[in-house]
Amino acid sequence: MTAVDVPRSSTIRPHRGLVGTLASTDHKALGAGLFVTAFAFFLAAGVLALLMRFELARPHLQLMTLHGYDELFTLHGSTMFYLFATPIAMAAGVYLVPLQIGAARLRWARLGLAAWWMVIGGGLCMWLGFLTEQGAADVGWYAYVPLSDMPNSPSIGTDYWIIGVILAAGAAIALAACVLATIVTERAPGMTMLRLPVFSWTMVVSCLMVLTAFPALIVAMALLLAQRQWGGVYTGSAGAFDYQHLFWFFGHPVVYVVFFPFLGAVAEAIATFSGRRWFGYKPFVVSLLLFAALSMSVWGHHMFTTSSVENRYFSLTSTALLVPAGIEYFDALATMWRGRIRLATPMLFALGFLVLFVIGGVTGIFVGSPPLDYHVTDSYFIVAHFHYTLFGGSVMGLFTAIYLWWPKVTGTLLSERLGRWHFWLTMIGMNLTFFPMFFLGWDGMPRRVADYPAGTSWSTLNALSSAGSALLAVSVLVFLWNVRRSWRRRVPAGPDPWGAQTLEWATESPPPRENFVGALPPVRSYAPLQDLREQRELEAQPA
Amino acid sequence: MTDTRHDYDALASLYLPIAAAVVLLVLLLVVAFAWRYRARPAHEGRRPSRTHRAPRTEALYVLVLAAVAALLLWRTFTVEARTDRDASGAGVQVSVTAAKWHWRFEYPRAGIVQRGTDEHPPTLVVPANRTVDFTLRSLDVIHAFWIPQRRFKRDATPGFTSSFSLVFPDTGFRRDGGECSEFCGLRHTWMKFHVRVLTPDAFARWMRARQSGAAA
Repeated sequence: MTAVDVPRSSTIRPHRGLVGTLASTDHKALGAGLFVTAFAFFLAAGVLALLMRFELARPHLQLMTLHGYDELFTLHGSTMFYLFATPIAMAAGVYLVPLQIGAARLRWARLGLAAWWMVIGGGLCMWLGFLTEQGAADVGWYAYVPLSDMPNSPSIGTDYWIIGVILAAGAAIALAACVLATIVTERAPGMTMLRLPVFSWTMVVSCLMVLTAFPALIVAMALLLAQRQWGGVYTGSAGAFDYQHLFWFFGHPVVYVVFFPFLGAVAEAIATFSGRRWFGYKPFVVSLLLFAALSMSVWGHHMFTTSSVENRYFSLTSTALLVPAGIEYFDALATMWRGRIRLATPMLFALGFLVLFVIGGVTGIFVGSPPLDYHVTDSYFIVAHFHYTLFGGSVMGLFTAIYLWWPKVTGTLLSERLGRWHFWLTMIGMNLTFFPMFFLGWDGMPRRVADYPAGTSWSTLNALSSAGSALLAVSVLVFLWNVRRSWRRRVPAGPDPWGAQTLEWATESPPPRENFVGALPPVRSYAPLQDLREQRELEAQPA
Repeated sequence: MTDTRHDYDALASLYLPIAAAVVLLVLLLVVAFAWRYRARPAHEGRRPSRTHRAPRTEALYVLVLAAVAALLLWRTFTVEARTDRDASGAGVQVSVTAAKWHWRFEYPRAGIVQRGTDEHPPTLVVPANRTVDFTLRSLDVIHAFWIPQRRFKRDATPGFTSSFSLVFPDTGFRRDGGECSEFCGLRHTWMKFHVRVLTPDAFARWMRARQSGAAA
């Protein structure tokens, strides 16, 4: 097979309308549908965050009861992880990986389709708890035993929530399997594993981690359901510790699962908008694999204060993470070095990612030291730390991906002017929301509290943080406005508006059903379009 | 005798400057590169660099990273060995019990118990500059015993007793000086205690007064 040459007209006419959308096994329709679903959950969980920030803007209880607050932070965290971050990372892979590797389809697409339905079903399960008499789950997103056991948390919303988590985790595993199988079996001629584009490599490690870590979550949650119905599973202190091990064996890797793909998007953006191919590709790939392997061995750092794990071991593995992380930063900066940099919106978000994520990274090394962690764990310091990794890292990377691939997926352009507004509002709002939390936590404010004492510096810091969250809400509205505007004006993007480097930009925007019509460009490296560009320049040079 | 706050501050004063330097370096390089190498019409003909590997530089850089990690771990392990040393048994004994959503402090040798109510949390009373040996347990769900001023926290897991030692150098009363930091259900927000640090003499007087039945 030298060229992907699938006949354009299939004998079976695809369904249209809602049935067509919900039943399409085209990876692009599936990827887009899953992406929109996950983004809707992002907005919903964002509204919960805003409600919490409204409550915390001033001391004492104003808007809600203590119980209502518990429901909010439980559903905020679990929606963000299970229904937004993981599915949207997988959606990006489902849509983009076949295009990047020159494939015509997603492997096991019907399994992927089932996964999308599972995400929707799981989400409904988790959120329908709000309609029950005792409300939604109120045990925190990691639902520690024995707090999450029936005598302590008898609400049926918690049972719905557990089922929802299991469905969403199953969906993640199915999607990771599809993407990984596609990469293994559907690569175009010439596309060896060491010519895989950087984003696709980040999807490989992300999927490997899903396949290793998420089964532990399903086990933890299924046993929790059994514990709640019949008891006898997680008993005594051993049961409490076992649950934590099972949970964090999933719970730490998941933050890398939802980080790597966006690191990949940032890498593609930095390479494209610097006019250079990604620097140090092979060490980068090795460091990614090392990063993934190492991050499977750090889960116990969530348990430093339990006196039940070998703190030194987990401190060692956690601190060692600075080595692969340092390599990623070296490669990013070296790619910009002596480049020809265009500060288009995707590049702005990519640079924002570099600056914000490093704050989450260095504070992560800080809490990787047990004596330091003893003080700041379960305080607002930790909340600040992981929002710098998850918002500063994953969400900034997500917007990099959205602005970068929007023209490819929709065939239209977004407004650069609104994009810049979106970027700067996000940068200011993000830092205003989360930076004060470092001081709050250091000063002794625990997480997951709806109230705090009046008349201290905490009032000012919390007010600042709440103001920042309002700014973040405005920034998201600007983005949605940009989307609406692009939808209406339909400025055609053309196949490759950015001068990008990978195969998805060698086909129409949006790509046709079979992805590529006619012969693919030759694949001689991880940046085949950059190869062609450099070759043309070479030929144009006077001898 | 381990002053946890002193140890914490010493360790943090190694970690934080490195952290700040790394963040500033990244910020500086990102801004500098974005400015220095931005596409200008005047440089239309200038081609971006084609160099895309530097294995020796990267190998050297990895060594630097590993050295930084080793330094941080060495200091961490040194401090942790002190913090985690088991209770000596020679200090003042305080047995802490956490239960939804209250703290209880017992001084087993003196037969004193400090209890609180929903409105009035109990007060942990300790002598200054003496080792205080704590045992910590929970009766229901997981709580966590946190005294921010001491930069120290430990989980209270039901069915498991953990022990640790703290020293309180400064006398005085701290309203809500101790908190539960592990989410433990409805009234987690308000699960606090006060901390009163007395001079050793005053502490002895307080103990005698409590034993003879006077209020705290």
